[in-house]
Formats: sequence, structure tokens, C-alpha cells
Amino acid sequence: MFKKIARDILIAFGLMALTLSTSRTAMKYTSDKRDNNYWWGTYQCLNGDLVSMSYLDIVSRFNQPNPRGGFKHPSFNGQRKMVLYMDGDSFTWHLCDSDFAGLESFCYFQRNHGLKYHLDTTKKNVLVIEVSERYLQSYFTGFQMFNEVIDTTIKAKKISTLPVRADAGICYSSMLPSISVNSLFNKNINQNLQFNLFNYNFMMPMFESKAALNYYFFNRASGDVVISDDRKFLFLKETISKTDIGSSYHPVSPADASTIVDVLNGIYDHYKAAGFAEVYFSVIPNSATIMQPDGYNNLIPMVQNNPRLRMKIIDIYTTFKHSKEIYYLPGDTHWNHKGKQLWLDLLNKHLLTDTSGR
Amino acid sequence: MTFNSLQFLVFFMVVTLWFFRIKNQKGRVLLLLIASCYFYMSFIPEYILILGGTIIIDYIAGLLIEKNEGSARRAWLVVSLIANIGVLAVFKYYNFFIDNIHAGSLFFGKSVTLPMLKIALPIGLSFHTFQAMSYTIEVYRKNQKAEKNFGTYALYVMFYPQLVAGPIERPQNVLPQLKEFRAYDWDNVKEGTSRMLWGFFKKVVIADRLAMIVERTYGHTHESSSLALFAGAVFYSFQIYCDFSGYSDIAIGAAKVMNIKLMENFNQPYLSHTISNFWSRWHISLSSWFRDYLYIPLGGNRRGAFRSKLNILIVFLVSGLWHGANWTFLAWGLMHGLLVILLTWGKKQDTKKKTDLTVLARILFNFVLITFLWIFFRSENIGVAITYIREIFAFHGGSNYIGVSRTELVFSAIIIGILLAREKYRPAHTIKSDAGFYCYAGAMILACYYLGVFSENQFIYFQF
Repeated sequence: MFKKIARDILIAFGLMALTLSTSRTAMKYTSDKRDNNYWWGTYQCLNGDLVSMSYLDIVSRFNQPNPRGGFKHPSFNGQRKMVLYMDGDSFTWHLCDSDFAGLESFCYFQRNHGLKYHLDTTKKNVLVIEVSERYLQSYFTGFQMFNEVIDTTIKAKKISTLPVRADAGICYSSMLPSISVNSLFNKNINQNLQFNLFNYNFMMPMFESKAALNYYFFNRASGDVVISDDRKFLFLKETISKTDIGSSYHPVSPADASTIVDVLNGIYDHYKAAGFAEVYFSVIPNSATIMQPDGYNNLIPMVQNNPRLRMKIIDIYTTFKHSKEIYYLPGDTHWNHKGKQLWLDLLNKHLLTDTSGR
Repeated sequence: MTFNSLQFLVFFMVVTLWFFRIKNQKGRVLLLLIASCYFYMSFIPEYILILGGTIIIDYIAGLLIEKNEGSARRAWLVVSLIANIGVLAVFKYYNFFIDNIHAGSLFFGKSVTLPMLKIALPIGLSFHTFQAMSYTIEVYRKNQKAEKNFGTYALYVMFYPQLVAGPIERPQNVLPQLKEFRAYDWDNVKEGTSRMLWGFFKKVVIADRLAMIVERTYGHTHESSSLALFAGAVFYSFQIYCDFSGYSDIAIGAAKVMNIKLMENFNQPYLSHTISNFWSRWHISLSSWFRDYLYIPLGGNRRGAFRSKLNILIVFLVSGLWHGANWTFLAWGLMHGLLVILLTWGKKQDTKKKTDLTVLARILFNFVLITFLWIFFRSENIGVAITYIREIFAFHGGSNYIGVSRTELVFSAIIIGILLAREKYRPAHTIKSDAGFYCYAGAMILACYYLGVFSENQFIYFQF
């Protein structure tokens, strides 16, 4: 009897785990509800995303907290009449109006959520597209531009039949709402299962002991994290694996770079026609590109220096490359405070000298 | 859903427990069918339609082959073969064919460009089409009665443990087992679970660890020393063995837990002393498929020495092509075929007793030979393979770094030793005492967790 009850409980538990881990809504709900301060909370490492992924909190060299905000603000005494739109990723999260010079307002759009806008034609509207190097090829080669925005009220219709709207924007084909049978087979199900079944504070000693074993015994990090050759930095595996399109060492041909330039020119024309006074583009290098440059595929310079490129460039790659300072966190995919400050300074310099439009 | 994923572990637990909850065979077949559809659709959902289409055609063909005689009988077999080979031709070989027409036309000074298909290869296509063909051929040969129950036939093709990477089963073995209700058997559960754990160990602890070395050496051919390249080639031999035989162990073990006995697919292949002996121990279900459905129908060794050699060569070429639409696989198959022919040329059955040292030397020589042939299998193209081999024989210095620390290298060698010793001296997976089973299972789970390399690497043979 006991065995039968246990069996039925296990079946129900397994089915629940699979269903829960397939549904995006359910995953969002559970992750929001779990309080990190309790034993059943989610493990959160404040020392860097790569430290967190590899459970290497034990190695002090990689643990360097990064303060948020507090950037040196640009001095500006003129009339504030610029509206800055920024389409960015995790490198540019948490920026605010005061980080920029001469702005009347600042609108930030996280790339995954699409860019929606309604331009005020009495203002000077400037768009900055920021992208991490590891997404450069994947976003800007198979990229398609749509004259529609994602509209949740009509998502059941096919994208091609959506009406063109006045506030038409741009969205990425891979991020369109999933309306097929594919949504029953969530590609992230294994990550979700790991989160639901194992990602609890009380289970951390188990993960950390494995990470320690790999680090001290085999000299490597666990999972998708790799230790740099000089052993001072952690890198995301996909940014250094030769076979990965986001890697700094994945071979790229001039034709590959040319394709990206074509797409960027298309985007530029689209937004200029939509009424933006200027469109800037900025690629933030992978930390491996700067910290371990031997064998770099030169993707960023190949794109940025292409004479056909019409978009204006915020070139942080050259600045980082020629500097002796360190601009990346040792246990994180992102830049440190100095790196972000440098990029902001560069962007502000462009904004202040921008003579386009109004 | 790969076997080395959390999704599979949860899925397997649910399906197996539910399987034993059901008290009639019809219900069990239905459950396994639904589970198999879910398993297959977790890769690319739409491709279930292709699989479903061929299953319907083969099911009807089987019934009509049995019902008819003479030319009609043969015609229905041809329909079934065309359907299966046609699917393979379109999804697996069409682009290769078009690519070569283009290259050939350039050679003759003209450029013929035909449209390429931008589609992904359905997972395990070569496995389930071959398994389906074995059914209609056996019905045609009257060795197997046509299956009347559509669900049972569909499950024969789709049974999830062996759906995407074999063993390529025969209807005589599997169909009767799918029809018979078998009660829960704890001994089978223990044996199946132990075998699955051994398969997981081979995959995550050995194969995926060796993959780090192999990726490094194959990715840095020019910088690496000859010794490092040779070591990379040797480690690949063990990587592919542990990857593929690990998959087979999990598949056979998972079926065993549900009281279904699948055929063996490996028998210590690296202890073989000739290439032909290797093929009687490596991927046995495929070798025997080719023997029964290609080599013997071609005449086998019954039509004289020349024809026999030609048949061997044809079988190995087709076997190479079966593995993938690339010249590297064809070259790999061709070289295996040529070596089998050359090394058996004019030889009679050797009945002399050999010393242990002679046996060991022959095993080693054969292993090195097979290792060099695997280089073609692993390389992106023939040029890369030739460069890799040339660099090994250049005996030059260079980086001896092969992607892992020295400790891990030594550890890798030790676990390969453990693998060989275990499979030689304790090949069975039966554990009589419950306490022994729990200890073994606990130790294997800990070993897989702490020593495993988890990077969601797919099984190498999935691509075929």
C-alpha cells in the first residue's frame, strides 16, 4: 500500500516538475515567489555571473563586487532638448537620465522586449543600439526587420498578417511570440528543471564541493565557464569556443562581416526614415577579446572599419584594446565600473558634438 | 531530450512508474507510444509527421505483403523500401548530392547550381528507417507475421529507449515482447538500473571528459606536437566508444527495467585482433543488419572469391555512407572494407595456439589501425584528416597541451583502464543482493555527479 502511494506521489511530482518547467508563466511565478533569504530560496551570488554559474565563490581572486550606479556625470549647461532611445542588453542596464549629457529624456529598451517608440518630432531623437560582441553575429546576420511591433492582443494571428501600426518598431524574428506546438517543448526545460529541483540555498554545499574539486584537482571551472590562460579571469565558454558563433575565436570571413554591415545599414535606413536624427551603434567586446587577444577573430574591427557602414560607431573596442587598465570584472561577463564609465564618457562626447537633426 | 539530461531522468521515472501502474498490455503499449512521441518531439516536433508517415506506409505494406503472393508481394516491399530510403535520400543525402553535382560541374568548366534544402536532419533517421525496413523485409521473407495491431507496430519503430540511436532491432525479438504482459520484476529493475548507471558513467565521466581533449587537438592541429595529436586520436577512439556504447547501455538498461530485452550492440570491440573481428563486436545491430539485408542478398561469399571481396567492399561503402553524407565517412568505410579484404587475402583459418604476447601485440596493432581510421570519421573533411595524420608522422615538437591539466590527463587514463578492466572481467550488470545494488547505485550516482562533465553534449551517434 505504502509503495503504491509513494509511486503515485512520484508520478504526480514528476509530471508537475515537467509541466512547471515547460511553462514560462509558471517559471516566472515560482522564481518571483522564492525568497532568497531562506533555505529554500534561490542561490544568488553577488560576486559575478560567471562565479555564480561555476559556484566558485571559494576562489577570492574571482570575487570582485561591482558597485552599481554612481557614475561621474557629464557637465552640461545648455538647453536639454534631446530624447535618447537606447536598445541594449545587460551591459547597459541600470543607466538613468543623469548619466547622459543634454538629455530631455531617456528611454531604455531591453532587447528581448523589443523597441517601441512614438517620436516627438519637435525634439531631437537619437537612437543608440548597444550589443554584446557574443550576440553580434547571431542578431545581425539572420536578422529580419518587421514593420510591426509585438502586440499581445493579437498574438494569435500570424505575424505577416498583423496590421502596420503608426508606432512601428523593430523586433527580432527569434523573439516573436511562439504560437506553435513548439511552445509545448520548451528548449530551456533542463535549465528550468535544474532551477526547480536543485537551485536551493540548502543544496549549495553540494554544488560548491564539486566546483572546488574541479578547480583544485583538475584546474578548471564547472559547466559553461572557462578559466583564462593566465588564470586571472573567468570566461563564458561560448565566448572562447572556436565552434561557437559568439566566440572571440570563431573564424569570421570578410563576407560574414559584410553581411552584418548590410543588416546594420538596413536598420540605419529604417530608423532614419522613421524620424531619428541619428543612429549610433556600439559593440561591447567579449572580455576574452580584450583580456586574451591572441587568436582574436577581429570581428569588431572588421565591422566597424567597413567603409560601407553608414551607422555611427561608439568605438569602445579600440579604447579598451590600447589601454593598460583592466575594464572587466574577473568573475563576470560584464565590464567593471571603470569600463562602463569609459563607455559613457565616449557616448556623451558623441552626443555633445552631434550636429545631426534638430 | 538526450539521455544525459534532467528532463530524461524525470521523464523516465514518470513513464516507468506509470508503466507498472497499468495492469493490461494494451494500456502499456498506449502509454509507451505516447511517451515515445513526446520523447521524439522534444527534438524537433514537426518531424513526428515524417516518422508517422513512414510508420503508416510500412504498417500497410506489411499487411499487404503478407496477404499477397508473387509480384504484388514484391511490389509492396519495394513501396516500403522506397518510402524509407526516399526519406533518407531527401533529408540526409540530397544536399550532399547537389553539392557534389556543383563541384563536379565546376571541374568540367560549368557551374550547375541546384537549390539546397535548408532543413535539419531528423534525429536518429538512419536508425528508425533501418529498423522499419527490417520489419517489411522479414515479413516478405516470411520470417515474421505482419503485425495487425497498429499501435504495437508503431511502438516497435518508436520505442523511445532505442528510437534515436539504436540498437537497430529486429521484429522477431521485439514484437513478441511488446504483446506479452509481464509483471513487475525487481531483478530486472536492478539489472536495468545498474546498466543505465554504467552507461551514464561512460557518457558523462569518460566520453564528455575525453571530448575536451579531442576538441582541443582537432581544433589546434598545427600548434600541437605529434605526440599530442596521437594522444588526441587515441582518446577519440575511447570517446566514441564510451559515447555510443554508453548510449546503448542506457537504452538496453531502460528497456530491461520495463522487462524488455533489447539486443546487445557492443562486445569489447577494442579487444579485437582483426578488423573483421572488430566489426563483429562494434555496433553489432548495424553490422548484422548489413550482413542479413545487404551482404547475403548480394551473394555473400557464395559466388566466388572476387564477388565475395566486391560484396564486402560494397557493404563497407554503404556502411560509411549510412553514417553521414560526407566524403570522410565514405573514405572511412572504404578503408575498413579494403583492410578487411587485404588482411584476410589468401589466409586460411588460423588454428595455431598463440602466446599471450602475440595476442596482445595483435590487439594493439589492430587498435592503432582503427584509431587512425577514426581520424577520418572525426574530421570535417578529408583534407583535415590527411593533415592530422601527416602532422602525427611529422614527429615534430609543439604544444603538448591537450586541453586538460596533467592531473586530469592521468585521471582520464586511469578511468579508461577501469573501463577496460570492468568490461573484460565483470561484463554482467546483475547484482543479486539488494544492499549491493543500493551501494553500487549510490556510488555510481556520486561518481557521475562529482566526476561527470556536464555540458549537455549530445551523443555523437544522434547525428546519424
